[in-house]
Amino acid sequence: MSLLEVRNVTKAYGSGRGVVTALEDITFSVDAGSMLAILGPSGSGKTTLLSIIAGLLQPTSGEILIDDRAIHLRSSREAAAYRRDKVGIVFQDYHLIPYLSAADNLLLMPRLAGRVTHDHREKAHGLLEEFGLGKRAKHVPSELSGGERQRVAIARALMNDPEIMLVDEPTANLDTERGMQVVTMLGEHVRGRDMTCLMVTHDPRMCAGADAVLRLVDGRVVAEE
Amino acid sequence: MLALREILHSKLKFALIALAIGLVVALTMTLSAMSEGLVTGMTGAKGNLDADAIVFQADTYLNLERSLLTEDDIARIGETPGVSEVYGVGHVFISAKAPGESLDTHAFGLGGDFEQLPIVEGKGGTPADGEAIVDITAQADGVELGDTLRLTPIDRELTVIGFTESRRYVMAPVFYVNLDTYEDLRAATMFGAMSETTDAELPTSTHITDAVDGNVSVAAVKLEPGVTLEEFTASLDADFEAVSPEEAALAGNGMPVMILAVNGIQAVSFVIGALVIGVFFYITTLHKTGQIAAIKALGASNAFVYRQLLLQILVLVTVGALAGTGLALGAGAGMPPAMAFDPRLDRWGVTLALVYLMAFVGSLFSLRSILRIDPATALDHAEH
Repeated sequence: MSLLEVRNVTKAYGSGRGVVTALEDITFSVDAGSMLAILGPSGSGKTTLLSIIAGLLQPTSGEILIDDRAIHLRSSREAAAYRRDKVGIVFQDYHLIPYLSAADNLLLMPRLAGRVTHDHREKAHGLLEEFGLGKRAKHVPSELSGGERQRVAIARALMNDPEIMLVDEPTANLDTERGMQVVTMLGEHVRGRDMTCLMVTHDPRMCAGADAVLRLVDGRVVAEE
Repeated sequence: MLALREILHSKLKFALIALAIGLVVALTMTLSAMSEGLVTGMTGAKGNLDADAIVFQADTYLNLERSLLTEDDIARIGETPGVSEVYGVGHVFISAKAPGESLDTHAFGLGGDFEQLPIVEGKGGTPADGEAIVDITAQADGVELGDTLRLTPIDRELTVIGFTESRRYVMAPVFYVNLDTYEDLRAATMFGAMSETTDAELPTSTHITDAVDGNVSVAAVKLEPGVTLEEFTASLDADFEAVSPEEAALAGNGMPVMILAVNGIQAVSFVIGALVIGVFFYITTLHKTGQIAAIKALGASNAFVYRQLLLQILVLVTVGALAGTGLALGAGAGMPPAMAFDPRLDRWGVTLALVYLMAFVGSLFSLRSILRIDPATALDHAEH
């Protein structure tokens, strides 16, 4: 059964003659426990697609379905709650909070939801251990390497047990070897947790760790592998 | 909490913001104390009279120097319904030769109880003829307890038997004397030093003193319990005009215009303070646009982000307020006694409340930018 379904999504900016179509009639689905790589050059619309699935942008037409239920986000509050409860995002630039330790960056997620409990702290430390960062829990991002920050960002995205994980160019700031390690690790966690992962990348080598690949060019799907 | 963690992480940055807020607080508090000091210095002797009402001669525009009441007037005022007690208060300009420099000041003749004067040095009670209880700011001019000051050019002397406080008039320390001494000073002031000997051409001092006998400037009235100033004013003869001591204090000597100017200065300082605080937090918010976009993208509501900002403002304004209060007190302690500086807790309380209010108003600049930060920009890097 498909966990995530993107159905006839189009996104256009502007109006009249100045209209720019970023995405055109995108349709695909992703099963639970699998990882989809969205591959495309710069300007192909992959980040726009990720933003729409994350509830950060509204599609001009089409819809997003999770578990066969269409997502309708009528307000910024609803969109925020959707991202908090259903989605985990890993940003290309990590966007870790510079004044919070690695552990506290993970605890940001339950904090946004309301309160931090002892269970949350246990979970955060467990995730950091899992990602080999147990001894770096109290370090702030400026004291971590690029790879460590990437892993903290991934662990943070997993903190609220999301149904969908959205990963934006996870290897952009890493060398190929470390990039591959991150993608492999990401795939293991996604399959182990039975969630759906969409990974945006411009690097075809990183698609090896994905279960399926969607190629985007100029806002259109040109291939599904 | 996120807000507190950020403050602890960037101590220098936030310490500087708190310092800037502290300076704004110190400025507004100092202005408040100085304006209060100005009012006290200008009117303390009038405003602090122990009375429910001050009665002036009609049509003298509540001017202490122009109002003149006779002994008969005081008696008529005393007979007005609702009056429990009345006493005369006389004002006369005097020049005293002080050890430091000459004092161009005022003598107040009190027909009432001298116990109303708070004694901070020396003795209280009704002074004998030729004695005075003096506002303590006269010490700045070298006046000391027991000094006998020569009054020029009227050839009189006053011996200082005690010091009181908050009893200045038109920024000069008031000399409180009994009514007999006042009458003598007034007569001498009006006609200069006079011979005691009889002269067919000139009036003698005795003649003059007799002529002003019982005359005072205003009457201080205490009302019976339950009688309001309005009721008393309604019953008062049309030859007189009565107001509260506070109103009397703020009338005359250009006080309304001066108060307007001082209030204007304070209002401007508050507006500038609000802008300064607002701009500080606006700039810090602008510096964090990317970070706020990411937190919103992770699921933070605008309310969550704004709450963090308000918490930071609360902490920084509290620290700034404490620092500013300390600075203002320090500034006041460093000022010479004659300088108009009268910190009042109630006014400073209002000042602090306004500082919190203007910080809140300032935060609205930031709220606007928080609302406008698009969380999608956290993912947006050069492509659509």
